[in-house]
Amino acid sequence: MPETAITVPGNEFERWRRGGAATAGLYVSFARLAFLKFLAYRLRYYTGVVSYTVFVAGNYYLFTALFASRPAGEELIGGLTLAQMISYVILSWVGRSFTFNNIDRTLAQQVVQGEIALQLIKPFHVQTVMLSEALGEALFRLLMFTAPILLVVVPLFGLSSPPDPALYGWTVLSFALAFLVNAQLNFLVGCLAFYLKNIIGVIRAKMVIMEFLTGVLVPFTFFPAWFQSAMEWLPFQAISYVPVTVYLGLRTGHDLIISLIVQAAWALGLFVLGRLLWSVSVKHVTLQGG
Amino acid sequence: MEPLIRVENLCKDYQVTRRREGVWGGVVDLVKPRREILRAVDDVSFEIPAGEMVGYIGANGAGKSTTIKMLTGILTPTSGHVSVGGLVPWRDRTHYTRHIGAVFGQRTQLWWDLAVIESFHLLRKIYEVEEGAYRKQLDLFRELLGLDEFLHQPVRKLSLGQRMRCDLAAALLHGPRLLFLDEPTIGLDVVAKESVRVFLREIRDQLGVTVLLTTHDLGDIQQLCRRIVIIDHGKVIFDGEIDELRSRVGDRIKLTIELREAATSASLADVTGTMPVIWRAGDGLVHEVEFSRRDVRSAEVIRAVVNDRPVHDLRIEEQDIEEIVRGIYRRGDAKATDAADEGQEAGDA
Ligand SMILES: Nc1ncnc2c1ncn2[C@@H]1O[C@H](COP(=O)(O)OP(=O)(O)O)[C@@H](O)[C@H]1O
Ligand SMILES: [Mg+2]
Repeated sequence: MPETAITVPGNEFERWRRGGAATAGLYVSFARLAFLKFLAYRLRYYTGVVSYTVFVAGNYYLFTALFASRPAGEELIGGLTLAQMISYVILSWVGRSFTFNNIDRTLAQQVVQGEIALQLIKPFHVQTVMLSEALGEALFRLLMFTAPILLVVVPLFGLSSPPDPALYGWTVLSFALAFLVNAQLNFLVGCLAFYLKNIIGVIRAKMVIMEFLTGVLVPFTFFPAWFQSAMEWLPFQAISYVPVTVYLGLRTGHDLIISLIVQAAWALGLFVLGRLLWSVSVKHVTLQGG
Repeated sequence: MEPLIRVENLCKDYQVTRRREGVWGGVVDLVKPRREILRAVDDVSFEIPAGEMVGYIGANGAGKSTTIKMLTGILTPTSGHVSVGGLVPWRDRTHYTRHIGAVFGQRTQLWWDLAVIESFHLLRKIYEVEEGAYRKQLDLFRELLGLDEFLHQPVRKLSLGQRMRCDLAAALLHGPRLLFLDEPTIGLDVVAKESVRVFLREIRDQLGVTVLLTTHDLGDIQQLCRRIVIIDHGKVIFDGEIDELRSRVGDRIKLTIELREAATSASLADVTGTMPVIWRAGDGLVHEVEFSRRDVRSAEVIRAVVNDRPVHDLRIEEQDIEEIVRGIYRRGDAKATDAADEGQEAGDA
């Protein structure tokens, strides 16, 4: 054997039986590279700052008009004061700018174009890779997208402070969990590409439905009680409604802790579900040939 | 000694839906799709000892990629066995992948937005290659493949040939003892093809890597492999040394000659005299002559013509894979005979 080769020590066949999953350091690299990749495309996000400001403005004027036309003597609409309502609008859109990502689309594209085969012959967990990349993207968004949006929107429309300063911390934690829940959900949706022909249509529809079900468009307090209790059983509110209402002080003490635990449980539960769906899907694709 | 790769009675079926015609047919398809089984790989068996470079050839749709996908663990076969270094690719996929390299000509395993070198660094981490070994390997490939000029460019900016060179390096960085290549020269120009071939020869000779290479380009095979396996309609129809194939099929060569002065083919046949060649009927400036490399050397034919006639131009063509496959059938010594209902060429087998 010439010295240029990486020689395999000992019996070749023995060594072949060893080897495990890649290390945590690898996944940090994926997150870092995703961050750098998005940084290279940061110009695209400047127009995004404008469109998010427009969304907030639209909702701001809509709800102020609604409050202006409320019956005399009524303070609240949908259980919120006008100041709370404005904070709700600002925070849900600012939060969305952070939690959003396209891993559903990325995964679906890889499946549709057959690129996923190349991921299958790498010694890593595709789900963990995608989540690491989503994390890198989220960090990019936080610094280069969410922060500028916050800087524009807060002075423009006025965000009231939470009833208790400690809620700042809880809100940040809750939004971090919201990101995790959203990412797991997106991974699950991306996996559907193994089974559905028109996955891009499904993803588009999902985006619209999610804006409604997560509470970004309209606070759940505007809806009938049965709708609100139905939402309690679904993961969507963990993506926006929960962190925003944490900030507004609508969840206190025991309630607050339970809300965060439920969020974390969804993140974990959906992660496990994603892992299951992934292994079933891989089995499907290796049997069917894509 | 145990062969590195052992494939036994390997089969792969795909389910395909056949579309019906017309609007009504489309409606019926929605309700009751017409499913058919397509056997892409049909009872394939072969063995490859460590250190060999074997060509796996066949026409488009013959089942080459499907075989490679099963050998790399991407596809689970319908039936049959594969053992590579004692592992079953699709069952032991995650740790099996550490010991193989693979290049699929139409796709890249590099990260589209990253500089080539960043992709390499990432691969080093994925495969947990030690820094020292990685350096050595990378230096070797930089030299053999001339990577330096585009090592810092993002992959999306590379030409196909440059990308292929990077993909080859990427597949070998972790020092696998076994490399699968699916159409590594597809779409490349002559120069790029040549550099891929030179590189593969180098890694075979220097690193002793075992290579299974699919292609429908005979040039690849002639320069790289002594042994070839030919597959047609999913079945192995030839497995042996390339010289053996030549002697079986005859290794026909077609020479196209452009003269300065018009001539008849009869008069040209006089020029080659008793040489065992066939002049295709034709009058005028352009003529074709066919012969077998076994019977006569092309240099002799060319010399005879050039000495006698003013020749403007010459072109030598070798048989392509399709012709060779047909040739095997024509001789009637194909292992697979039930594919003979395809096309009239095979009819007289
Ligand atoms: N995923 C698939 N689903 C259905 N049929 C397929 C699929 N992949 C390949 N085939 C069919 O199987 C046969 C063999 O294909 P392939 O292995 O790609 O051949 P090659 O690589 O030799 O060109 C072809 O007829 C092809 O159309
Ligand atoms: Mg192919």
